[in-house]
Amino acid sequence: MSEPVNPSVDSPEYPPELARLPPGRHGLPREFVARNQRERLIAGLAEAVAEQGYAGTTIAHITRHAAVSRRTFYEHFSSKDECFVAAYDTVMAELRRRVDEAFNEEDEWPRAVRAGIGAMLEFLTAEPHLARLSMVEALVAGPVVVERYDAAIQGLVPYFEAGRKGRPAEVLAGLSPSTEEALVGGMVSLISRRVFADRTEELESLLPDLTEFALTPYLGNAAAAKVARQG
Amino acid sequence: MAAKSTPRPLPGQHQLSREFIAKHQRARIVNALALEVSEKGYRNVTVADIVKRAGIARNTFYENFGSKEDCFLAAQQFAMSAALGRVVEAAGEIDDWPYRVEAGLAAFLHFVAEEPALARTCMVDALAAAPSSVRYYEESLQSFVSLFRLGRDVSPHGRKLPETIEEALIGGVFWIVYQRLLEDEPERIERLLPELVEFALTPYLGAEAARVVALEGDGASAASSSRG
Repeated sequence: MSEPVNPSVDSPEYPPELARLPPGRHGLPREFVARNQRERLIAGLAEAVAEQGYAGTTIAHITRHAAVSRRTFYEHFSSKDECFVAAYDTVMAELRRRVDEAFNEEDEWPRAVRAGIGAMLEFLTAEPHLARLSMVEALVAGPVVVERYDAAIQGLVPYFEAGRKGRPAEVLAGLSPSTEEALVGGMVSLISRRVFADRTEELESLLPDLTEFALTPYLGNAAAAKVARQG
Repeated sequence: MAAKSTPRPLPGQHQLSREFIAKHQRARIVNALALEVSEKGYRNVTVADIVKRAGIARNTFYENFGSKEDCFLAAQQFAMSAALGRVVEAAGEIDDWPYRVEAGLAAFLHFVAEEPALARTCMVDALAAAPSSVRYYEESLQSFVSLFRLGRDVSPHGRKLPETIEEALIGGVFWIVYQRLLEDEPERIERLLPELVEFALTPYLGAEAARVVALEGDGASAASSSRG
């Protein structure tokens, strides 16, 4: 967690959609190239949106960044919106995969929450463009994406609900049905304000605060703070 | 003040001050935009739609606003300051901090239930309109920070609380209200009061004390604060 993580784009653990095929003649099978074109378009959109914002991005911007022709774009997507949805889904799937993996590596729930939050912050810090795409531009990219955005946030609720298991009755009595929803909403709001202000580099330092915030309803202040502050 | 500089009105024109007309035109345009957005969604609304609905000339629109985005921001600011005004008024009357937070939240939820269209403009449409409106929304939330922060003085562990706790609590409260607005059930929003009060107070007072305040506010008898 403490070592700097900044995977290069062609690191093998990177999902192909977020990596780039080097331009030039490569003699690869047609099917592979087609798949890769789609991936390049998605990466191209992420770059274009980071530069222009969603509203200002045109298909020409995307194809220029992806180094493919306009015709190729339309072989894969019917519109900028459709390409954005594909990019959004790719980024969120990757984010969820990382959170899931970190969460499941820990045996105890409080530490699992800390690990999951840590994985999320690490990804968003390492990928400021994708952070912006998924947390800022997604909101203004039309109703289809907004619906997905809401669902993605609500999809984090079960990680917290797991904390109810085995809690004493008086703790459970203090948790309202919307506690988990409020926790994920609060965390996302904190994160997206930093992404908005182009302060993604601050995100990793939020780990103790977010962990304590998330655990307090279940463990009380003192125990939550203890898990939050442990290295 | 307008009298000196205003030319003599042409026949049939009302003798209203320029300022008066301008102010009301602005309100009419903003209102027209809010209605259009709530029906079609921000992206599908054009300046032509707004102009038609407001019954004004296209030039008049551009005399008042630089763009659709500019006009939306004005609508959002109007709605948000209406909400904030209610909160400040209600919370300001109460000295005891936990009840002050409760009064503020109650006023906010009441505003949302009573004015769902305005609430949607500043909480739902604002988040889908433009980066500038999302930024304004996020900044508006921060006006609640100082109200919550006072809780550190009455909390036994106020000094140890995370620096960002207020920001996170407010984000959580707004997220819940936003979700209920999306479900289009504004009339149920006021029933959220006890759980939101409990959520907001727990980090400062502990779950037990937070629940007592929350249940009292629900109209349950304070003395017998029995759990239902």
